[in-house]
Amino acid sequence: MPFLTHGSYRIRYELDGPANAPAYVLVNGLTQYAELWTAYRDALVARRFRVATFDLLGQGASDKPALFISQDDQVAALHLLIGELGDGPLFLSGISFGGLIALRYAITHGKRLAGLVPMSCFAELPPQLFLLGNALRTGLILGGTSYLQDLLLPMNVSDQWLRPVLDKLDSVKRQGWLVNDVYALQNLMESFLDFQPLTPQLSAIGVPTMILNGEFDFLTPRALHETLRVQIPNSSLVIIPRAYHAFTLEKPALTADLLARFAEDVLAGRWQGNKAVWIAPEEAGGDLVPFPAGYDHLRAIPVQGTIP
Amino acid sequence: MSEFFGPLDSEGRVPPRQQTRVAAFLISAHGALARQFAFALPLKLESAWQTELNAQFYRETELVSLLLRATSWVPDVALGYMAASWETAWFPRPIEGIPDQPLALAVGLATLAHAAHAGIRPAALLPVDANTNDPFVMTLRRVEFESSRLLQAQILFLKGESLVPFRDAVNSALERRHTEVRKLWSEALEGVGISAREGNDEKP
Repeated sequence: MPFLTHGSYRIRYELDGPANAPAYVLVNGLTQYAELWTAYRDALVARRFRVATFDLLGQGASDKPALFISQDDQVAALHLLIGELGDGPLFLSGISFGGLIALRYAITHGKRLAGLVPMSCFAELPPQLFLLGNALRTGLILGGTSYLQDLLLPMNVSDQWLRPVLDKLDSVKRQGWLVNDVYALQNLMESFLDFQPLTPQLSAIGVPTMILNGEFDFLTPRALHETLRVQIPNSSLVIIPRAYHAFTLEKPALTADLLARFAEDVLAGRWQGNKAVWIAPEEAGGDLVPFPAGYDHLRAIPVQGTIP
Repeated sequence: MSEFFGPLDSEGRVPPRQQTRVAAFLISAHGALARQFAFALPLKLESAWQTELNAQFYRETELVSLLLRATSWVPDVALGYMAASWETAWFPRPIEGIPDQPLALAVGLATLAHAAHAGIRPAALLPVDANTNDPFVMTLRRVEFESSRLLQAQILFLKGESLVPFRDAVNSALERRHTEVRKLWSEALEGVGISAREGNDEKP
């Protein structure tokens, strides 16, 4: 298990796939750990990508700073990892908290990237997300990691995913509970206490950017992704049908296919952002279709839009 | 070596040798915290925050009582030596860099409590098939759950405004305490065939 060193802390990482291939770096969500990307690693390596996964500071087998974890340190850890990947084309993707770290990286080190894929992501903490974050933190404090998982699971995945595992939820939650510690998760959550919106800096992201958002994402709804689409010049927004916040867990084949196609299109010079809005296929390999013209993609009912 | 207790008996109970070692360590740590909170607790409370001292003292005492009663004790010849090293490690220790001695002592106690409550996760040693109706199993779950609640007082204090001028000193002392407590915990577990999860204490 290789480690990088950031100050006095170690960051556990893993590299897979051919050394000289274009690389994907995948950044975990707040309660996640690197092994949750296994299906992505396998799918992307099969399509000739190199794949880097790691545990953020405070997660899994990486060190867990006892009192504070700053988001700047997470970006620095990510920068260290990217430094291990040579000079070839590099694509960066992250989900939720990991998406935010990826955005921060793209703002400060965008020239190193060939493409960016923020998923279930946000650049601001509007009142709903701020209060939800506070409530989740209180849940962690009062009920521990297991209770936080109990809150997140029904919010972030569908009935179709939950129904077959309903009688074995403890085993679904167990690995996340084992490798993540309350104080470390709390430190990760409290890294938002001095959070400043990234929105004014998003226009500095010059690389091709595909923003992925679940159709039914409750935690980070469409409006938060819309901020990214509007502010990032070379972006497009892709809506994943019937998906919730944690669609990377629920739809790995589809999402890995979208990641690979995005990178292949960018490398071939075919990709154009145009701030377009797309609807992803239901299954891997299907066609993306443009969001119907004249309708408002921010609404859940077919309202004729006023947004260009 | 395994990361979990075992092999469990046919009733899903943890081997008594492992119960004894783990309970002895936890009693030593939580007992030391109970004693130190007891000394810090005034007869008459004068500030609102001192109510937390009262809570910490009684909750630590409860954990010790639970462990004493729920454990299947067996002789453990290594305990004498180990307990001496544990008790030495828990001695009150003012942290360096804070000139106000009472505050430095309070921070020292809080770093010890933070390390014990945050860094020691006895329930994470339980394998999936541990008997949830066994008192030792339930006790470990309770120790871990209550520790994460007790920890909140230490987090509030150590991250609080009053310690902002000493943040580097506090942070260094806390990281050292975590490393020290985790090392003792790992050694205690290794002696009964359990390898602690890879953590901050195992730097290359």
